[in-house]
Amino acid sequence: MNLTQEILDFLYGEAELLDEGRYREWLDLLTEDILYRVPVRLTRERLPQGGHSGISEQMFHLDEDRTSLEMRVARLETGFAWAEDPPSRLRHFVTNVRIGEPRHTPLGEEVEVRSYVLVFRSRWDQPDFTFLSAERHDTLRKQNGSWKLAKRLVILDHSTLPTHNLSFFL
Amino acid sequence: MPWSKIVGGSSRLGELLEELATGLEQGLLPAGIFNDPEIFEREKEKIFSRSWIFLAHTSEIPSPGDYVLRYILDNAFIVVRGEDGQVRAFLDMCRHRGMRVCRAEAGNASHFRCPFHGWTYRNDGALVGVPAEREAFGEGFSKADWSLLPIPKLEEFDGLLFGNLSPEAPSLKEWLGDASWYLELVTKRSHAGLEVLGPPQRFVVNTDWKLALETFISDSYHTLMTHRSLIELGIAPRDAKYAMYGEQIHIPGKGHGTMVVGGPPGAKLPPFWGYPEEMMERAKTSYPTRTHWEVAKETRIFLITLFPNFSLHNPIRKPDHLYPKPVPMLTFRVWHPLGPGRIEVVSWGLVEKDAPEWFKEKALHSYMRFFGSSGTFEQDDTEIWSHVARNAGSTLGRRVLFNYQMGRGVAPDPNWPGPGVAYPINFTDENLRNFYRRYLELMLD
Ligand code: FES
Ligand SMILES: [Fe+2]
Repeated sequence: MNLTQEILDFLYGEAELLDEGRYREWLDLLTEDILYRVPVRLTRERLPQGGHSGISEQMFHLDEDRTSLEMRVARLETGFAWAEDPPSRLRHFVTNVRIGEPRHTPLGEEVEVRSYVLVFRSRWDQPDFTFLSAERHDTLRKQNGSWKLAKRLVILDHSTLPTHNLSFFL
Repeated sequence: MPWSKIVGGSSRLGELLEELATGLEQGLLPAGIFNDPEIFEREKEKIFSRSWIFLAHTSEIPSPGDYVLRYILDNAFIVVRGEDGQVRAFLDMCRHRGMRVCRAEAGNASHFRCPFHGWTYRNDGALVGVPAEREAFGEGFSKADWSLLPIPKLEEFDGLLFGNLSPEAPSLKEWLGDASWYLELVTKRSHAGLEVLGPPQRFVVNTDWKLALETFISDSYHTLMTHRSLIELGIAPRDAKYAMYGEQIHIPGKGHGTMVVGGPPGAKLPPFWGYPEEMMERAKTSYPTRTHWEVAKETRIFLITLFPNFSLHNPIRKPDHLYPKPVPMLTFRVWHPLGPGRIEVVSWGLVEKDAPEWFKEKALHSYMRFFGSSGTFEQDDTEIWSHVARNAGSTLGRRVLFNYQMGRGVAPDPNWPGPGVAYPINFTDENLRNFYRRYLELMLD
């Protein structure tokens, strides 16, 4: 199978796990040294060199390692995680996937992947829903023949979140 | 009591305030005050237009030219440090025809230039540039008459900047009253003071600002059920009554309240919130009184809500379910009202400037993982608050009376060393009854 197909399969497969709430299986897609970050975004003036602006290097909505992600998943399994019980109806739309040149690192073969994600969230019986939109900068690493997520930076398009919490992953 | 006459006009508003006035001392509050367009309109005028509202912490704007954009109600203010080092706040509205002159939420600028016709203001508010000034406005025009409009009142307490829309407002010091003693437990914990850990998180919740702050002024009672998931993970203690062991203190006549919680007897928690020992030692000389230090030494969970919508939460925490030692965190809050049943939460993480670097990192993680937009504690709070507000706005639900009767009949603690009226148990609604007394007073004024 070619690299593009492998990466797309990974991203779409991951979206399926997140949308179906199969978080234990999702954790299996992450490396032990996973770094998962969603920085706070601010409205700032245009940078002279162009590109993204207003990405905080200090404050994050989520700044997670393996242990804290496991804690969040374990919390969802307690039966008392009201923010997601009943679970939100989530739909991760993943598009605009761009794949870098694979490279060899001491930890294995790695590849940088950028994608856009649009996350639809619907709760209870309310006809209103919320969207979160973002760009993801991922590092995938091949381990024992399959790709794992080693790093994710989620660059939100929101400076104020339109939803009452981030009780799910992007 | 004909409150409906006092507030006039609308019977709906009058009814709700009358129900509040008659029920408050019995601990009965009409649900309707938590999601009603007329109540909200009156809150805008009677509460938010003349109360001291938190704008920023000075560490957000440490250098000349640093600014942040902040709101009181729907008014945008540029909070900016001038070249002279002085902090000011201006309505972000060009004096010519009303365009925003500030183009970002935060940054550094010596000048603000209006993109509409180009009027340019210095960061002390002075109008210094008007394109084609003479040709367009002639000889009689004086730039000095057209400075940016300063906020009617701006004052600082130990780095906390508050603004007030009313020029007649009492001083911040008078407004805070004895609450400042408790504020100092946090602001004077070190000689160096506090610093923000980056910009605030901001998120919208479909609830009422009063419902949100209730948790931060009282209602430790909700912990055992709302936050049961963290109890299951061993992050919060199993004892259903653990949040009960503490003093609940309010400042009569002001509406402010605080909770000073030591933890269950025999829980073997580290002293002084679990801050590094060196910080505890240094606090001996930074606190204004020995009593501050003695109270702080026994404190593990600490909250303040300043009337109307500023809260601070400072608990001891395990940074995750496996980490061996608890690490405290500190968050500041503004429950920014957007409309009936809708708020924006503005949530900062802070730490002492002179805390050890390893500790700052841990405190930041502790904050992000438990409170704020993704916090495992707070996400369940926001879920619940939104459903309460939805019910409170319903046609039948708005007429239902809520129960605020917890702790009625408990006598104040005569031995509490700090100011205010203290109750020896945290399972009481006394702080809330005090808050709504002040609320009612202003709403009927
Ligand atoms: S509105 Fe600002 S210059 Fe005209
Ligand atoms: Fe809570």
